[in-house]
Amino acid sequence: MATMTPSTNLGTKLYEADTKFPPHPEGLVEGNHNLATLGDKIADVSIQITPTPKAWWLFFLVGLTLAQGLVAGVGYLFYLGTGVWGINQPVAWGLAIVNFVWWIGIGHAGTLISAILLLMHQKWRTSLNRFAEAMTIFAVMCAGLFPILHMGRPWLAYWLYPVPVNFAAWPQFRSPLCWDVFAVTTYFTVSAVFWYVGLIPDFAVLRDIARNKLQRGIYGMLAMGWRGSAIHWRRYEKLYLLLAGLGTPLVFSVHTIVSFDFAVSIVPLWHATIFPPFFVAGAIFAGFAMVIWLAVPLRQFYGMSDFITNKHMDFCAKVMLGTGLLVSYGYFCEVWMAWYSHSQIEWDTTMQRIWTGPYWWAYWVLILTNTIIPQFLWIDRIRKNMMALFLIAFSVHIGMWFERYVIIITLSRDNLPSSWGRYAPTEWDYLLFLGTIGMFITLFSLFVRFVPMLSITEMREFLPKAQGGRDGHAVMENAK
Amino acid sequence: MPPKADQQHDDPEYFQSVDAWMNTTEFSDLMKNEFPDDAAEWLDPVSRRQFLTVMGASVALAGAIGCNPSLKPASAKKVVPYVRQPDQMLPGVPLFFATAFAQQGGIASGLIVKQTEGRPIKAEGNPNHPSSLGGADAAALASILSLYDPDRAKQIKFNGTASGYDKFITSIKDELEKQKGKEGEGVRFLTEPSTSPTFAGLVGEFAKRFPKAKWLQYEPVNRDNSAKAHQAAFGKPVNAIVNFAKAKVVLALDSDFLTSGPSAVRSARDFMHNRKVRDGKAALKAGDGVALDAMNRLYSVESMLTNSGAVADHRLPLKPSQVLDFAKALAAKLGIVGVPAVTPKLPDLAEKWLVPLADDLNAHKGSAVVVVGDAQPAEVHLLALAINEKLGAFKSVLTFIEPVESKPADHFADLKNLTEDLKAGKVDLLFVLGGNPVYDAPVDLDFGKVLMSSKAVKVRFATHEDETAIDGQCQWFVNAAHYLETWGDVRGHDGTASIQQPLIAPLSGGRSFLELFSTLLDLGTSDPLDVVQAQWHKHFDEKVKTGDFTAWWEKCLRDGVIPGTAAAETTVATVKLDALNDASFQTPAIQADGLQLQFLPDPMLFDGRYANNGWLQETPKPITKLTWDNAAIVSPGTAARLGIVNAFGFTGGENGRTVADMVSLTVNGRTLDKVAVFILPGHADDAITLHLGHGRTRGGKVAVAQGYGTGFAAYKLRATMGLWIAGNVEVGKPTEKYFLACTQGQYAMESRRPVRHATVEEFRKDKEFAQVPAQSAAEYKELRALTPGTPEDFERLGLKHPHAKGHDSHGHDHAAGEEHHAGHDKRIIPLSLYPENPSKVNGKDASTAYRRWALVVDLGACTGCSVCVTACVSENNIPVVGKDTVTRGRAMHWIRVDRYFSMPNDEPMSDDMGSAKVQGAKRSEMVKKSDRIRTHFQPVLCQQCEKAPCEVVCPVGATVHSADGLNDMAYNRCVGTRYCSNNCPYKVRRFNFIQYADYATDSLKLVNNPEVSVRTRGVMEKCTYCVQRIRNAEMETEREFDKRKAAGKIDQFGRPKIMDGEIVTACQAACPANAISFGDLNDHDSAVLRAKAEDHNYGLLAELNVMPRTSYLAAIRNPNPAMPKGGA
Repeated sequence: MATMTPSTNLGTKLYEADTKFPPHPEGLVEGNHNLATLGDKIADVSIQITPTPKAWWLFFLVGLTLAQGLVAGVGYLFYLGTGVWGINQPVAWGLAIVNFVWWIGIGHAGTLISAILLLMHQKWRTSLNRFAEAMTIFAVMCAGLFPILHMGRPWLAYWLYPVPVNFAAWPQFRSPLCWDVFAVTTYFTVSAVFWYVGLIPDFAVLRDIARNKLQRGIYGMLAMGWRGSAIHWRRYEKLYLLLAGLGTPLVFSVHTIVSFDFAVSIVPLWHATIFPPFFVAGAIFAGFAMVIWLAVPLRQFYGMSDFITNKHMDFCAKVMLGTGLLVSYGYFCEVWMAWYSHSQIEWDTTMQRIWTGPYWWAYWVLILTNTIIPQFLWIDRIRKNMMALFLIAFSVHIGMWFERYVIIITLSRDNLPSSWGRYAPTEWDYLLFLGTIGMFITLFSLFVRFVPMLSITEMREFLPKAQGGRDGHAVMENAK
Repeated sequence: MPPKADQQHDDPEYFQSVDAWMNTTEFSDLMKNEFPDDAAEWLDPVSRRQFLTVMGASVALAGAIGCNPSLKPASAKKVVPYVRQPDQMLPGVPLFFATAFAQQGGIASGLIVKQTEGRPIKAEGNPNHPSSLGGADAAALASILSLYDPDRAKQIKFNGTASGYDKFITSIKDELEKQKGKEGEGVRFLTEPSTSPTFAGLVGEFAKRFPKAKWLQYEPVNRDNSAKAHQAAFGKPVNAIVNFAKAKVVLALDSDFLTSGPSAVRSARDFMHNRKVRDGKAALKAGDGVALDAMNRLYSVESMLTNSGAVADHRLPLKPSQVLDFAKALAAKLGIVGVPAVTPKLPDLAEKWLVPLADDLNAHKGSAVVVVGDAQPAEVHLLALAINEKLGAFKSVLTFIEPVESKPADHFADLKNLTEDLKAGKVDLLFVLGGNPVYDAPVDLDFGKVLMSSKAVKVRFATHEDETAIDGQCQWFVNAAHYLETWGDVRGHDGTASIQQPLIAPLSGGRSFLELFSTLLDLGTSDPLDVVQAQWHKHFDEKVKTGDFTAWWEKCLRDGVIPGTAAAETTVATVKLDALNDASFQTPAIQADGLQLQFLPDPMLFDGRYANNGWLQETPKPITKLTWDNAAIVSPGTAARLGIVNAFGFTGGENGRTVADMVSLTVNGRTLDKVAVFILPGHADDAITLHLGHGRTRGGKVAVAQGYGTGFAAYKLRATMGLWIAGNVEVGKPTEKYFLACTQGQYAMESRRPVRHATVEEFRKDKEFAQVPAQSAAEYKELRALTPGTPEDFERLGLKHPHAKGHDSHGHDHAAGEEHHAGHDKRIIPLSLYPENPSKVNGKDASTAYRRWALVVDLGACTGCSVCVTACVSENNIPVVGKDTVTRGRAMHWIRVDRYFSMPNDEPMSDDMGSAKVQGAKRSEMVKKSDRIRTHFQPVLCQQCEKAPCEVVCPVGATVHSADGLNDMAYNRCVGTRYCSNNCPYKVRRFNFIQYADYATDSLKLVNNPEVSVRTRGVMEKCTYCVQRIRNAEMETEREFDKRKAAGKIDQFGRPKIMDGEIVTACQAACPANAISFGDLNDHDSAVLRAKAEDHNYGLLAELNVMPRTSYLAAIRNPNPAMPKGGA
């Protein structure tokens, strides 16, 4: 595969559209790229030819600062115990679980895009899958911190795994928390492997065009001896397809199981069969909002709008709209079922949640941000307006956080009025939340900087045949 | 916010270290004697050699701990016989000793104290003691903690510097020598009232030598008013004993006889027994309760909502001063002559009460009684005596005995005399023994200042360096011994004497009054044991005469009571009402209109003496649910008028934190700048109740008010002219906000009916009224099928089994129009997808094979007193977490007493206020109707669900089911995910959010029960039904296999049987009202099975199908149909 000689002079010219090629028939690649320009545009970021935008430093430093907060927050937490948070009786779960579910939800879109859309022949996934998968992995890392941190005795976290130890600590398999451990661990493992397998040919590209020994060494190791031989491609594509197949059920299982944390309990309004589909839809909703959030700066600061086109953003917005409607249906169902059940406590708790209780405002923030504001996405112009899209995605982030907040806060109004009580997070709660946001930003900044943020291999295949590509026939087409 | 009060105690206190720190002569002597070779070095200035031995010194100090006499076992001498004689003393096997704890008026309740390895760790009521009958009050239970209080004074001091006992005695003897010529004219003893015969004997001996010395008694919460009334009525001092067991109708005039006062435990037991409604023949035969028709009736007229008012059948909230008017009007209505007319008209409702109330009282002549609270003026007491006489209560319900107090005193007069004598310089030597007059004297006496300026030699004898012990006020400070550290004797409310025996040597060398007096009198011994024994030897020689003294003495110790010492009944003449017109008898008139302020003793801290006890500070006060603070308590109506709010409004509430307005209170020109106001439904309008006992300024880390806890100094408003009730109170505008740690702000049941209740009539109509779950579901009434017991059991118990064979005549009636169904749908019994338990033992369901522990709380008998909470804290090493933590909703109590208010309407089982339809403004209007408020209590502990929702969700199996049906908690296994707590519908699980258990304070380690784990941070904990007691009983039973077999104590499977009542949970043992039954459901003779089979037994939230093992007997009230609506 031909690559152009990298130029030390930042050749914006180099990546310019070659007008002799026709544009992509579906508008999924803009700028009349050919194999070479496409590969270089992506790879040059990783091998440091493209100058680092100032905004990168801003993101990175903000992220790193916040991540220090995580260190401080965890330090103090481990020193004193979970009492540093606002949790109490009866609200024994607080922001830690809100954040856990929120991050897990965000971590959803990546594998959905990579695996399910792959299996469903959605070509437009190709521009998004790499960074969406990275997002997944980092989000699950952030999420995974919380269940450990929220434990009263976090040093015993390994007791949740079936580790054969001579003191016979063994998980209690009826507990949804136990299922959580398996679900999240599996999801993380498969997502990480899937991501890495997809990266191997790209690392090989970077190795081949590396500008110095260090880069060559590191990318070379990461490329695991990839030579691009036919047998490599054949194995690669088979594995990729298998992993996609493995990843697909996990997309559904992980958030279903997270929802079991609530649905399996007998807490009023938690105990509901609507939870698994409702949570999965919510997760995709949140995940796509985050994809939009990440795509916008990539387009803005790295000029990736050639590959992440308005069309992509439009698709993302549509998925968001659709899943948002599903989520809204879930909200409706919760209220409906509480009313229809004739269960007094369910209905009282619902009324407390939406109207008479102390947290009614949280419910309406949720409805506003998750149900009402996304309706703007019906409008074509708004879906194409990056600023509007960015703001709507922001609204969804807030909404999805509040959704979990509203669920957790339901604990404040359970069966016996005598034990009703409120919950307010402390600064340590917020610090940990901001800290994980910092960790996410830091990791994602580093990813953008050192790893191809879009899949070079797949993007090349994606180009029309006339431009040397395979007209969007993805890897799986060849995995016979 | 950083967790302020979550932090542990500041400094660890070592009782060894104080001497070292103070560098007393005793300490240096000890060191010299211990290490004579180094003695010179010890005194040297710093030298190289000494420097080198510093390392050795630390070792030496460590070694010195072994020499500390306080750590030697209590039984250095053979001082105590065993209550339960073990074969031999075994480490780990606790011993039980009978003793007694003196409280208000010096009157004791008998206790049995558990001692493990020389440490007293748990107190329980002594069933032999007439004031206790096995129950106890919170203060008695918490006195164990006071023993180990790290803030206790550990040192005799002279003018603030360490001194010694010998020096003290020498100095005082010199003073007494000077008094010899004056016959002791300048000597004063100020004590709390005492009932101790030995102490009285010593004082008498002292009086022989110093005839002009005076013994004065002062207690801020005293019974002067009733004493005055007795004196006026009969011309002699007597004590009244009310036999509530015989009382059919009781009128309580501002009296909380069920939870306060020296005989409250006994009163609660007697009175509440007749409110435990039972239907089953077996239950009635066993004396579990009374038949529906035999229920007693209680009318309560009061200002503050008290526990007695809360359980009353009719309650009339009146301003404190109106109680007198009410008493007058009632007396007139009953035809008593010589009653002054009521000048101001009574409120309408009170007027309407008079006729039906008088009729009811008249209808129960001989079994009706009027009781009056200590805070009411003597006139009310006198009128009540006249009414009681008229009702024929004398000699039936009400008897009179010779005073139990060694020397009946007028407390305020005594203190006033002392103050005047001090001012006049008549006092040369003053002993302030116990009490705390500088803190709690009427403010206008200015006792602190007078004491300070007096030139007399003043001796302070107390357990803590408190307000009265400030240097300069009293030159000498002597640290007093705790009652568990020394010998003594004390009498119960009926006069029955008990010996107080020490269970541990004084932890820091405290002294007792007896020791002081016997030393000063040169009796030849200063050992309190000798003195007490001598006193009772005299008694033995005079009264008992037969047998061996030692045997008699040991029996008295073992039983905890001395037989035949109850005070003799005294005959009284007809009640003379002349005094009512005597100005000196009358209480100065209280301005009738405007706000009135009433002082009452704190339900937990009493007059403030227990303020340094964390257990009591943290036990929620029964009605307000406040911890760590008192507050000015007002009704919602008054609060609205004054523009005062509690932050969540009084229409809702929260667990832990109430944001209250602070106001200033001005009474007769005296102002208390900042008092938090707490709004309490049911409180009388235009009245404020302020509990005494908070706002301490010295006396320990726990007691002292720090601005964010332990309350407001009510004594600063309490003057001689308004000791109990003060009129013309001005309330300032709310200025600041204050956090009150109120563990239950939410007061309505929200139509969920956790507490089910009915009147006698409603119960008669529908015996199964309590079965209807709050949530409609298919299992309407069928939940009853979860009631344990076979049809045979039910037959034997004299009850109809609700699911007996042949369902055509199943246990309940059908409402008109309801379809008659042929038997219950088996598919929903027991509401499970799974088939019946397949495992069988001897052909029977395996669940009936093993022991099945269960507990029943009779809500009809619960007075809400919260003693169970303190008992549980003591038994189960529950940490004290502090106010800040409580305001975070993190109180750690395993048992809580939920308190709800309702407003019953005409429809049975419905409640105006609890309805979801009554919210917001409507509810806030409703809650202002104080006279319609009904109060309900419900102790909630772990319900030990058979299908426990906590168990399935624990990811590590830390909470699991035992074979006998306990929901066990394996602390070591717990990783602290708190999922179990979320999934617990009762919210009875408690989490150690940080390290609450005190591992740092040495003395507090000693109070822990070694049979219960001390939990670390990050661990969930909860009620275990006192599993340690269950397992102990099991072991004992196994050990006694042969003995039990021979006695026929064998269960159906041939195993040794744990007899019903052998296991008593801590809450059950403490409960004054005997409202808790515990036992084995598979034991056909168990009280708990009898209770569970009652028709009005129900499971809390049983509709969730968790099958709770704990259940409740619905409360039955007995209102008088003739009474006006409102108070009903």
